[in-house]
Amino acid sequence: MLEIATVFDFTRDAVILVVGLTAVLASLGVVLCSSPIYSALYLIGHMICLALLFLLYNAEFLAVVQIIVYAGAVMILFLFIIALLGGKKEIQENSFHRSMAITFVFILLGELYLSATVGPTKQIQGEIPAEMFGTAKAIGLELFSKHIVAFELASGLLLVAAVGVICLAKFSFAPLRRRTR
Amino acid sequence: MTEIFDMTWDFIVLFLNENVPLIVGSVKAVVIAVGVMSVVPALVWLERRLMGRFQVRLGPNRVGPFGFGQPMADTVKLLFKESIIQASADKFLFHLAPAVVVVTAIVGFAVIPFGEPFEVFGQSIELWGANVNSGILFVFAISGMGIYGMVLAGLSSNNKYSLMGGLRSSAQMISYELTLGLSALSIIVLTGSLSLIDMVQAQEAYPFILVQPLAFLLFFIAGIAETNRAPFDLPEAEQELVAGFHTEYTGMKFAMFFMGEYINMVTMSALVTILFLGGWNAYGLPVWPIVAFAGKVIFLLCVFIWLRSTFPRIRYDRLMTFGWKVLLPLCLLNLMITGTIKVIWFP
Repeated sequence: MLEIATVFDFTRDAVILVVGLTAVLASLGVVLCSSPIYSALYLIGHMICLALLFLLYNAEFLAVVQIIVYAGAVMILFLFIIALLGGKKEIQENSFHRSMAITFVFILLGELYLSATVGPTKQIQGEIPAEMFGTAKAIGLELFSKHIVAFELASGLLLVAAVGVICLAKFSFAPLRRRTR
Repeated sequence: MTEIFDMTWDFIVLFLNENVPLIVGSVKAVVIAVGVMSVVPALVWLERRLMGRFQVRLGPNRVGPFGFGQPMADTVKLLFKESIIQASADKFLFHLAPAVVVVTAIVGFAVIPFGEPFEVFGQSIELWGANVNSGILFVFAISGMGIYGMVLAGLSSNNKYSLMGGLRSSAQMISYELTLGLSALSIIVLTGSLSLIDMVQAQEAYPFILVQPLAFLLFFIAGIAETNRAPFDLPEAEQELVAGFHTEYTGMKFAMFFMGEYINMVTMSALVTILFLGGWNAYGLPVWPIVAFAGKVIFLLCVFIWLRSTFPRIRYDRLMTFGWKVLLPLCLLNLMITGTIKVIWFP
């Protein structure tokens, strides 16, 4: 007679494994695909897999935010730019860039080895009660009490970047004269 | 042999007993998906009949009583049409795009609550697909994913009109998503919860449209733009872009874009009902909660159709100006006022 709990745990682990593997495969697709549109699509797939992983670890709010911000807003701008610039397939050739990429792969493998030697990951010890974990309230309390300075600084930085982009886009050429009433 | 069978049987019985919520959930998922998809032909019929009346003509009235057979005949026609894909299109993306539109539209409906829970066989059956803690964010996330369908259709068709339509749709939907989110934020401030069910329960005394009329207006306008309905149907402006992102589509794939649009219309009406019109609360009228909810949604759908036959399509640059320079500042103002009042008088 099988224990139902073990079956459930096993299923959960299997689902996590499948989602994680899909995330890795999608990220490989981003690098290995020669067409920019497909690369962007693989990246979207990777983001969705990450959101699913957050969801599987009960971080519901984080999962939704991951989809809204990265898979929704950021990647749509990527596709926008690809559409404007006309995404052409790049020609594969041996070059300096390729040797650079191989070096990066080895560095990443080294990091993987390092993280494997550190040992299994542990749960973060904190004062967040279990029923509030992963909710918007928990994240909001953390962000706006402990990390308020860093949070506000980051928002200021983003605002400066946005204003800078508007300045660059607005004044680099003579503005179009258009009749608008 | 019988031992193995018995063991399997025991396991199945145990599994079913332990997982009643899972089974109820699956049944609900199927019911919601089928229900939402079968609303589409009815909505097409309603739109064509109402549009006919608004434009002082009869509308479809030949196939069956009141033209009820018309959507069925149209569906059969679309199913049997030849599917043409031009040689220069990206085949995979071309097939993927309409599927993305329909799937995201149906998934977005999963968290919409449309009635109070009731008891069947000792089980409490809740009239919503899933009670997600951050339900409203989930709807926004999924509707954001729906943009990809249109952008991919535009990119894969290899046609300048389609590309322009896809670009317009992405720019428009990103711009109006901000207004949508910010005007919903004032309701979140009022209820203090992201769950759609909590929002409906907070409106038992009075609907939020009475305290947040500006937010309601902004949300509804942004909702029309988000579903690409007239007067904001720039992605498929016939006069300038042939048919926008779905110019190259034929047959059922063409129809799937329309399915997505109509399902999004229903979802948006349901969302407006939940956020501003009190959801399933009937406010003294002697009707079932679910009937009250459906009545409000159908009324809003009629308003959608009414707007389409009343307003001309606005120009593209004005659409963007309107979104960024009028709606967004109004939203921020409304949010600031709401937040201030909430903090000062109702801490």
